[in-house]
Amino acid sequence: MIQTDEILTTIRMLHSEHLDVRAVTLALNLNDCASPTVDQMVKKVRHKIMRFAGRLVDTCDEIGGKYGIPVTNKRIAISPASILLSGHNTRGALELAHALDQAARDCRVDFVGGFSALVQKGISAGDQVVLDSLPEVLSQTRKVCSSINAASRKAGINVDALHQLGHIIRDVAEADSANRGFAAAKLVVFANIPEDNPFMAGAYMGIGEPEAVVNIGVSGPGVVDSALRRRIALAQETGKKLTLADLAEEIKLSSFRVTRVGELIGREVADILNIAFGIVDLSLAPTPTIGDSIGEIINTLGISRIGAPGSTAAIAMLNDAVKKGGLFASSSVGGLSGAFIPVSEDAALADAVRQKHLCIEKLEAMTSVCSVGLDMILIPGETPPATIAAMMADEMAIGVINNKTTATRLIPVPGAKAGDWVDFGGLFGKSPVMEVRNVDASEDFVHFGGRIPAPLQSLGN
Amino acid sequence: MSTQKTEDSTERFGYVFNLLSDDRPGIVAGVSSAINSIGGNIEACSQTVLNRYFTIIMTVTLDYPWDCKELGEKILTEGRLKGCQISVRPAVIYPGGRVENRPDTFVITAFGRDRNGIVSAFSRYLAEKDVNIIDLYGNRTGKEEFLLISQVEVDARHDIQNLQLDLEGIGNELGFTVKLQHNNIFVATNRLRLER
Repeated sequence: MIQTDEILTTIRMLHSEHLDVRAVTLALNLNDCASPTVDQMVKKVRHKIMRFAGRLVDTCDEIGGKYGIPVTNKRIAISPASILLSGHNTRGALELAHALDQAARDCRVDFVGGFSALVQKGISAGDQVVLDSLPEVLSQTRKVCSSINAASRKAGINVDALHQLGHIIRDVAEADSANRGFAAAKLVVFANIPEDNPFMAGAYMGIGEPEAVVNIGVSGPGVVDSALRRRIALAQETGKKLTLADLAEEIKLSSFRVTRVGELIGREVADILNIAFGIVDLSLAPTPTIGDSIGEIINTLGISRIGAPGSTAAIAMLNDAVKKGGLFASSSVGGLSGAFIPVSEDAALADAVRQKHLCIEKLEAMTSVCSVGLDMILIPGETPPATIAAMMADEMAIGVINNKTTATRLIPVPGAKAGDWVDFGGLFGKSPVMEVRNVDASEDFVHFGGRIPAPLQSLGN
Repeated sequence: MSTQKTEDSTERFGYVFNLLSDDRPGIVAGVSSAINSIGGNIEACSQTVLNRYFTIIMTVTLDYPWDCKELGEKILTEGRLKGCQISVRPAVIYPGGRVENRPDTFVITAFGRDRNGIVSAFSRYLAEKDVNIIDLYGNRTGKEEFLLISQVEVDARHDIQNLQLDLEGIGNELGFTVKLQHNNIFVATNRLRLER
């Protein structure tokens, strides 16, 4: 029988610290929906999504109710749309996107990810259709998300693709200027994209995955921050000296519990849907809500201004401790599994930008030790495409050389300049537009084009 | 003389008793020595201390039948358990514990400002619904706050959502926050080894 103190520990975590399951993502292989005509393809796509995901939301709500833990986001991730779009054109791509958008509405999921292309070594015809269609697709649909893998440790960095993406990201934002370029928030450019990531906008189903699989994103940073604050308060009461190793241990314990909750709910949802269970992603994903912030954890760890010296070390410790606790809790850990630092989605980070404590270069440094990259960064609408491409290249280099996943989600806000506030609402939050320094100084580098060769570390055999 | 044989093939006689006392060292030693002295075997026991009061429930088997009152007095005397109260009755002893399929266990937690009738309100509702309480803990956590934790067996004929809504409704009337959650969430977050 469970002991009273065990119940109390869990209850505190559930009710006072706002534990939730951040994402249940059903990943689905749509390759068998490929058809010679677009009409046939979209019909098959809608039918297959409804067949597998029609009960997803109700099942998540039922299981969440049984355990008293809300499943905050329910999503669908599909195999790369570029495969379905081989042999079709951008008109077909737009029809597919609208069909996905409608299927997502019919299933009542938040987003459908996987309008994706893998171009790290080169761009196929299907990949090019995806790239060319993105401004229309992302500005005309609400729930469709896209990810492009433009670099990998094995292939190096496809600078030609980044060059195109520099223009595409500008075009996507401008096509959605009525919403201040929000459509660009649904496009992530990756190095070393994981095949089983449950988090949007980057979720897609990799080609090595089963026919259908349920992946889980665990709860947010609030639980970890509360545990740390309680530990520090206890030490102050008792006068006991606390070291960073003690705080790392506290993070591990929280991560263990949070991971167990995610796996319990994920396995049960997968069982009921009769779909394979995939992975638990240990990522701490903040929301703009106060008390659900990675920035606040950095503050709690003793860095009073986020971006100050020590910020990178603090987030490295957090990231590592989360993984250690989670790995012991579950043998099915995967996805991105790191602490996210999406600026507009994290009120404390956005405030640090406002106070000029945090700049893009420091964020970039932090992403070399955490997940996932320059994420939800609002930049001036006039930032040159070549500069955007070079910012992405820098982030890709961190991923390729350090054998980790990195990504960018840059939003050039049309008509905005550094310091302007932009509010996307809801989970996407608000942030000042960040200053991009040294614009117009990377054109020649980007215009050389081609591919930065795979690094020495790629030859591990 | 009232006795009940155990389900075991050997001729043993089962009893259950409950002992209540002020808490102090030596009570368990006294009880167990007394049982030993009359050839008894402790089959299962559970003890707790609450607000400095001690209680233990035990099932024991004996070689021959006893009168319950005499057995109680014998244990108190042999165990030198002065000031303790004991209550004894015959029992069917299930060797190795019950093996039939048990319903799922859920945990009810209720937290709010203390007042009369909290345990009664929730337990009356559970009794009406034929929901069995298998563990109950209640305590003041602050000057005026009361915490109630109850582990209950809920079988498949119950709609969990309805039970949750009813319990939350009772909680609202009493000014209590109430949750009903499946036991597995507490196992998953606390125990190292999980059974699948």
